Amino acid sequence: MDSRTMAFINLNAVLGGLTRLCQLDSGAADIIKGKDISVGISVKGGPAGTLVFKDGACTLAPGAAKCDIKLPFSTPEKFNGMIDGTVTPIPSRGFTKIGFLTKDFIKLTDMLTAYLRPKPEDLQDKKFFNISTTIMFHLIVDAIVQIGNHDEIGRASAGYIVDGDIKLEIDGGPVAFIRAKNHRLKAYHQAPEKIMSYMCFENMRTARDLFDGKINAVASVGQGKVRIGGMISQVDNVNRILDRVALYLA
Amino acid sequence: MRKIYEYPKSRAAFERACKVIPSGIYGHQGPTEGCYVPVEAFPLYSSKAQGTYLWDLDGNRFIDYMCAYGPNILGYNDPDVDEAAARQRAISDCTTLPNPIMIDFADLLVDTVACADWAFFAKNGNDVTTGAIMTARAYTHRKKIVFFKGYYHGVSPWTQKIDYAGVIPEDVANNIYVRWNDFEELSQVFEDNRGQIAAIIAQPYMHGNFMDNELPAEGFWAKVRKLCDDTGTVLIIDDVRAGFRLDMAGSDHYFGFEADLICFCKALANGYNVSALCGKEFLKNAISGLSYTGSYWMSAVPFAAGIACIQKMKKLGMPRLLIDKGEKLKAGLIEAGRKYGFDLHVTGVPSLFYLRIADDPSLMLHQEWIAECVKRGVFFTSHHNHFINAALTDADIAETVEIADEAFSVVRDRHS
Repeated sequence: MDSRTMAFINLNAVLGGLTRLCQLDSGAADIIKGKDISVGISVKGGPAGTLVFKDGACTLAPGAAKCDIKLPFSTPEKFNGMIDGTVTPIPSRGFTKIGFLTKDFIKLTDMLTAYLRPKPEDLQDKKFFNISTTIMFHLIVDAIVQIGNHDEIGRASAGYIVDGDIKLEIDGGPVAFIRAKNHRLKAYHQAPEKIMSYMCFENMRTARDLFDGKINAVASVGQGKVRIGGMISQVDNVNRILDRVALYLA
Repeated sequence: MRKIYEYPKSRAAFERACKVIPSGIYGHQGPTEGCYVPVEAFPLYSSKAQGTYLWDLDGNRFIDYMCAYGPNILGYNDPDVDEAAARQRAISDCTTLPNPIMIDFADLLVDTVACADWAFFAKNGNDVTTGAIMTARAYTHRKKIVFFKGYYHGVSPWTQKIDYAGVIPEDVANNIYVRWNDFEELSQVFEDNRGQIAAIIAQPYMHGNFMDNELPAEGFWAKVRKLCDDTGTVLIIDDVRAGFRLDMAGSDHYFGFEADLICFCKALANGYNVSALCGKEFLKNAISGLSYTGSYWMSAVPFAAGIACIQKMKKLGMPRLLIDKGEKLKAGLIEAGRKYGFDLHVTGVPSLFYLRIADDPSLMLHQEWIAECVKRGVFFTSHHNHFINAALTDADIAETVEIADEAFSVVRDRHS
């Protein structure tokens, strides 16, 4: 596993999950209600991005030049340590606003963790289950893109992906697409206009079971629980990257 | 309008299989790797086969253009091959000492295949492509192997890609990939790896999946042959898929050059399980030194079947017979598509043709048409080249074109 790739995943996919959390969980939205603050993360030799909390919503913008609180990390490992809870970040900017970081931000990341590493009993609640699965779906899409762009073996898979949009969808649930161009990948968390290929899970339960490794993807295609079509070589290579998502997010 | 097939018994069998067999049907004959889109359009298990036909568990009959992915060349249950196999089975099959019919089979291959001075037998195509690589490395004492992108040479780790499950980077560390028909890139690779390349392994032409199949450019093979000669590199032709559907003397012979090693399987014995690696005299010592064998590699029944198959193929004038049938089918399919405004591309050699509706680069339109053909009794796939067998009649070709026509009309109605 490559630390730099992990840092890209941690910023864009894991912390990126805060954007969905604030859309889907009213408790999270309440925490940032009325806030107007941004947290920039800059990793030397790795990713940079800014989480913007404004008007009750959270967005992730590229770069960390303009932000209220700036968290610089000298290495990808240190940033990854913050996500794991083993490294305490020291802001280089925004000391007067540190309260947001130590209180509200922690609350949000704790909520996100609850959805990403749910207790079995929590998943019995349908609403929790749907939010958790939706956040996980988008996180996986983001992680696929980061691995396809940064991980050595993931890049080999991306190297075989022909140009075009690959739709990923849970029937009756979330939809996203990955745009492949010149073997670089980009995630879009919305329905695509025109697609080159698709992978569609029949429902949230099937998607969840696949994410959790409880059912087999190849058998599920045969059983019609997962639909694939179009330029299947795209889907095939996205699946190979998906295999590596589990390695990074285990 | 033709009857639309349904597959309740296949579906039930698949559900049963999923409980006891990983992914139900693994590999290329399963619905995932087989690209069954949508899966409901395809049968999953066969109940019987005869000639060019395959019947599924629900009693639906198909004109089968996959031919078990190649082995069916004379027709399923060919009486001459089956009789030869039965005769040998009554004598011996898998025994402590091999039956001398093995020598007869080797003699026949050496007489038939242009570049062959000897024959080495195994079971699957992968066995002989792996044997070829080992032989090349043993002979040259070099590590690196050159592949053409879009290749398929089996399933051993060395044949797979770095991102495949169960493959580690070291398995493919000595693989070099170049573009098909790009001699400049190939020359540069040899320049950059001087004295390190053991072999080039290639199919006789590019019959990769999801793309139109591509024949060798004018003079390409002659230049590759010379490059191998100049650098002491072994030239391996993987004729597992195309073997005996282009030329009885080997597909290298068809394209006017000689391989150093050539791999056969699929059509070698009309479905009996045997593969063969044939090669030139100078490599015989190298392969003799390999520790490379298998429990069933010297079974006599497939040798008897192989002899009968090759003799019958020669008698029938294969592969001209298959190419002619393929030409007829190709013309009929293209015309049927044109009638409804579809630009159907039929590429590769007609005896193993590849189909693609070129109006839609995503292949979704093509997958729809393939599904409509399958539901009416023509077994095509959307991603892979197809195969012609000798039992296919003009009436079968006419029926195929009729079904293809109806399938085109259904797809056209859906998208008009």
